[in-house]
Amino acid sequence: MAQGAAKSASTGGLRRRRLLSAWLFMVPLLVVNLLVILGPSVATVYYSFTEWSGIGPAEWVGLQNYRDIVADVDFWSALLHNLIWTMIFLTVPIGMGLLGAFLLSQITRFQMIFRVLYFIPYVIASVVNAALWQNILDPSRGIGSALATVGIPFLDGVSFFGSERLALPAVAFVDNWHWWGFVVLLFLTALQSVDKELYEAAKMDGANRWQQFINVTIPGIRATLVFVVLITIIGSLLVFDYIYIITQGGPAGASEVVGTLMYKEAFARFEAGYAAAMGLGLSFMSGLVIVVFLFLRRRGWEI
Amino acid sequence: MHAHISRRQFLARGGKAALGVGLAGSLLSGCGGGGGGGGQVTYWSNLEGSGPQAYFKKSIEKPFEKANGGTDLKVTFQPPDEMDRLVRTALQGGEGPDIIMTPGPAYAQEYIDANLFAELDDYSSEYKWEDKLLGWALDLGRYEDKLYAIPYQLQTMLLYYNKTLFEDKGMAPPKNRDELEAMAEELQGQGITPFAAGIGDDPAAIEWFPTVFWNHYSGPDALYQALTGEIPFSDPIFVEAIDLFNSYVQKGWFGGSQEKFFSNGFDALHADLGDGKAGTNVEGSWFLATINDYFENSGDAWDWAPLPPLRSGVPAELYELGIGSTLSVNGRAENAEGAAAFIDYLVADKKRAAEWMAAVPSAFNAPLPFSESDFPSSMDERVARQLAALSQATNQGNFGYTAWTFWPSKSDVYIQEEMQKVLTGDITAAEFCRGLDEQFTEERKEGAVPKIIKPGGAA
Repeated sequence: MAQGAAKSASTGGLRRRRLLSAWLFMVPLLVVNLLVILGPSVATVYYSFTEWSGIGPAEWVGLQNYRDIVADVDFWSALLHNLIWTMIFLTVPIGMGLLGAFLLSQITRFQMIFRVLYFIPYVIASVVNAALWQNILDPSRGIGSALATVGIPFLDGVSFFGSERLALPAVAFVDNWHWWGFVVLLFLTALQSVDKELYEAAKMDGANRWQQFINVTIPGIRATLVFVVLITIIGSLLVFDYIYIITQGGPAGASEVVGTLMYKEAFARFEAGYAAAMGLGLSFMSGLVIVVFLFLRRRGWEI
Repeated sequence: MHAHISRRQFLARGGKAALGVGLAGSLLSGCGGGGGGGGQVTYWSNLEGSGPQAYFKKSIEKPFEKANGGTDLKVTFQPPDEMDRLVRTALQGGEGPDIIMTPGPAYAQEYIDANLFAELDDYSSEYKWEDKLLGWALDLGRYEDKLYAIPYQLQTMLLYYNKTLFEDKGMAPPKNRDELEAMAEELQGQGITPFAAGIGDDPAAIEWFPTVFWNHYSGPDALYQALTGEIPFSDPIFVEAIDLFNSYVQKGWFGGSQEKFFSNGFDALHADLGDGKAGTNVEGSWFLATINDYFENSGDAWDWAPLPPLRSGVPAELYELGIGSTLSVNGRAENAEGAAAFIDYLVADKKRAAEWMAAVPSAFNAPLPFSESDFPSSMDERVARQLAALSQATNQGNFGYTAWTFWPSKSDVYIQEEMQKVLTGDITAAEFCRGLDEQFTEERKEGAVPKIIKPGGAA
């Protein structure tokens, strides 16, 4: 009995020491989080209830900024563009990524070369990618005029980034060009973990390629697929860089998203309080996506 | 706005000019000095490009330190577009350099309202700025009769043209609206874009055009009245100016087409001017620094002309006044004396300023009463002519107003954003002007409108 008590005390001491060590290792991270994330987050929440230019004292205005956002036509227009962007990125790069990964998985020779080629745009800085495509799609000196000189004039003079109708999809095209190769690699890695015997079994059951893809591949990479969908939705809500670099939301707000609108509010109109409220609205929407995801998992969805 | 990409480009490329002029010796000899002996002075500069930065360090920083009893001038070069954000962030944290650069009087006023700048009246007396600087410049830096900021980097809008092309076609720069429209129709008829233009690199640059049309159609007197609240911006005189600009864009005179106007980048449109694919370019005086680069390929000649009046009664030679930056002393500066001494050294000495303006052409124009003979012989004659013309015209009260200098920040952003919607047909010119008037009136009530100096012709 005494021996048992001594053993229990010794185990308890070991557990406490382990716990202490774990906390000691976590302290630097916690401090960084408190300073860099929690502090500014709390400040943002506070400033979202104020009228503040970014310098000087902030004036408490309660919920006024949020009321203004609800009545702000530009905000809703920008949010609509975020939703369009989300739909584009939930379909085009994911579709291309699945197809690319599936095709790559079918070959063994040169697979590494294709992987590298697909991945290169992802590691190039966004400003470089943007400049590259601005030149390629220039209405007077880009690919349109080059094709026109060889008798293919249908793109000649088309102003992709200067047209209200084309600006948003054109910037999405450039962003997709850099993004989809990364999605291919994610799916390819997931595909390689799918048990080959499942494909053999499906073949023996008479399944064709499409049926194998639907019934074996998709369930096999479901976790990766859901992860890609999740980061696509959140990334689309927070999108900023390519739009800011290429069109800055123009022409006439045709490619404005909440991220670029928020930046203008904070650093051009000096409505830092209003921008903080807008930022919190975006964070809330992103958080909602994660909450829905966690809720579905808890309800037993295999995602 | 404040730091257009074209200006950044020319600052970067100004290195060639800075390295080429070889003025270091003369600047070293042009010593200044004053009460800034000893201690450290911190200064954030918006100067870009390794060449100009090396020139600054060698020919301004070191001689200043030598002339001021070993004062240690610590210069940090910041990206021009980021400067105000960096200054704002630093000042929020109770920090920031001893010398504060802002993008213009409207921004300076915001800092003054927050009690962040030191009064400069004592230094003005000590260094005799009243005798040296242009009167309007000091007026522009005064708030409630106290001096807080020195306007710097003077700018104006000009009509650049391909001189070779014009001579070949037997044309001359237009002197009124009829001549301007005849020129545009003639050039367009020959497959040449009348005005190289585009905002693809910097959509905020659209504000150049309402600025030009309001000054040269509505006129500086009407603008003075609107900016001082005597008449609204919804007045037909302003609506007509916007309608006129819109009609020119819809005709394809600016940039080739409305859509190209939105997507043309500065390099492409400047190249079109140099190659003779476009006849003219309406742009700020900052373009003088890089214009030669775009004429190297074709070997064509270029020149500039004042923008013509677009309505009778508007002055024939009118320069809208732009201020690229202001300089102030941080209210928390440990060495305010040294900071003021450096502002005097950089801005108020005519010979030194002229040489610096020649080294990085037309980028750091000081508000001094220049004539062409004040500039070194190494300076391009066309640049010297422009700088002298601007200095003399503004000294005589013959100036207009640029949106990025005299409109408060939210009204300025309104112009940048909503003007695009006029060109796309989403709103009318009247709606645009009505919205501007509402925004401006609100900011005027808040006291956000910078000091509006009176043009010579205004009653």
